[in-house]
Amino acid sequence: MSGQLKEIKTRIKSVESTQQITKAMKLVSASKLRRAQDRIIKMRPYALKLNEILANIAEAAEGDVSIEYAVQRPAEKILVVILTSDRGLCGGFNNNAGKLVTQMLEEKYSKQYAAGNVSVMYIGKKGYEIFKKNKEINHVRDYVNAFGDLSFDNVSAIAEHVMNAFVKKEYDRVEVVYHRFKNQIIQIPAVEQFLPIQKLEAEGVDQKDENKVKADFEFEPNKEELIAELAPKILKTQFYRYLLENNASEHGARMTAMDNATENAEELIKDLKIKFNRARQAAITTQIVEIVSGAAALQGD
Amino acid sequence: MNVEILTPDKLVYEGEASGVQLPGVGGSFEILNNHAPLIAALQNGALRLNGATNGTSLTWNIKAGFVEVLNNHIIVLTEGAKKAE
Repeated sequence: MSGQLKEIKTRIKSVESTQQITKAMKLVSASKLRRAQDRIIKMRPYALKLNEILANIAEAAEGDVSIEYAVQRPAEKILVVILTSDRGLCGGFNNNAGKLVTQMLEEKYSKQYAAGNVSVMYIGKKGYEIFKKNKEINHVRDYVNAFGDLSFDNVSAIAEHVMNAFVKKEYDRVEVVYHRFKNQIIQIPAVEQFLPIQKLEAEGVDQKDENKVKADFEFEPNKEELIAELAPKILKTQFYRYLLENNASEHGARMTAMDNATENAEELIKDLKIKFNRARQAAITTQIVEIVSGAAALQGD
Repeated sequence: MNVEILTPDKLVYEGEASGVQLPGVGGSFEILNNHAPLIAALQNGALRLNGATNGTSLTWNIKAGFVEVLNNHIIVLTEGAKKAE
């Protein structure tokens, strides 16, 4: 009887301490998320301006300029870059990215996969854990720890490595799987083709801005060389954006997961408390019945 | 004229200046007031800001990038900028 009471009490205590942990993790994620969002916001003016310059040059340049990063080759050797988190406890975050890669291996690149020409590059430790048993793919683990240092220098080194490998024809196509950050609650797993560049287009530039478009720019050294210089910069910035968005998404996902866990713990505690009170009541009733029936037996004499 | 120095990590500098020396790919050059609209590629080197807001000159070691000059508004885009002593 009192054994059952004690059991329920210990369970309540253990759930409560778990709840405290999940609550703390949620708060930590919230503050990390704020910092990650800050980073995205700080990068935005640079990316926007870069695109604006591209728009200004592209407008003045006649015809297509050939860029080594835009060369379309038959897709024989594929590199898939998968961005995940370093740690778990973030709901289905990493599995969703993993699913997208598996889907690509089975459908879009099934031929290349069968021929053993698919490499997977992991950024974030959890990605490798998903695929480490797969012997058909070439694992690239040089940059697994990139999320430890999210400075532009560090990230652009990875982008450069990938871009050089593409130019050297080690890969014919590079796809990036990451989580697009929409808001704190919604993160969308997405696949984007990183190389070759499909089209070099200025995004988010308002063409109606009069004095910008009409200005007659001098170009130094010349438009073609400027575009050739601009392309790798834009690619690096894009790659940087993938990592920053994925980083913000990770913290968003963990925050949501921990919030749910805290709520579940709350419900569990509520149920356990009701159970505890019922058991207590039952124990008291039995005791009273014992006493009363004992007294009645004495009176009966 | 107004000068902005931007890197992917942050806004390094924003303020007034009377002249900017930049490491162009074809050699160092300086932009003064009322310069014609210009887009130029930059290489690694020193960026020197003369007559900054507080009257002194400031120097950064910047990485390759671009500069856009338009209506006395200068925007320098670089992948990294370290303030030099």
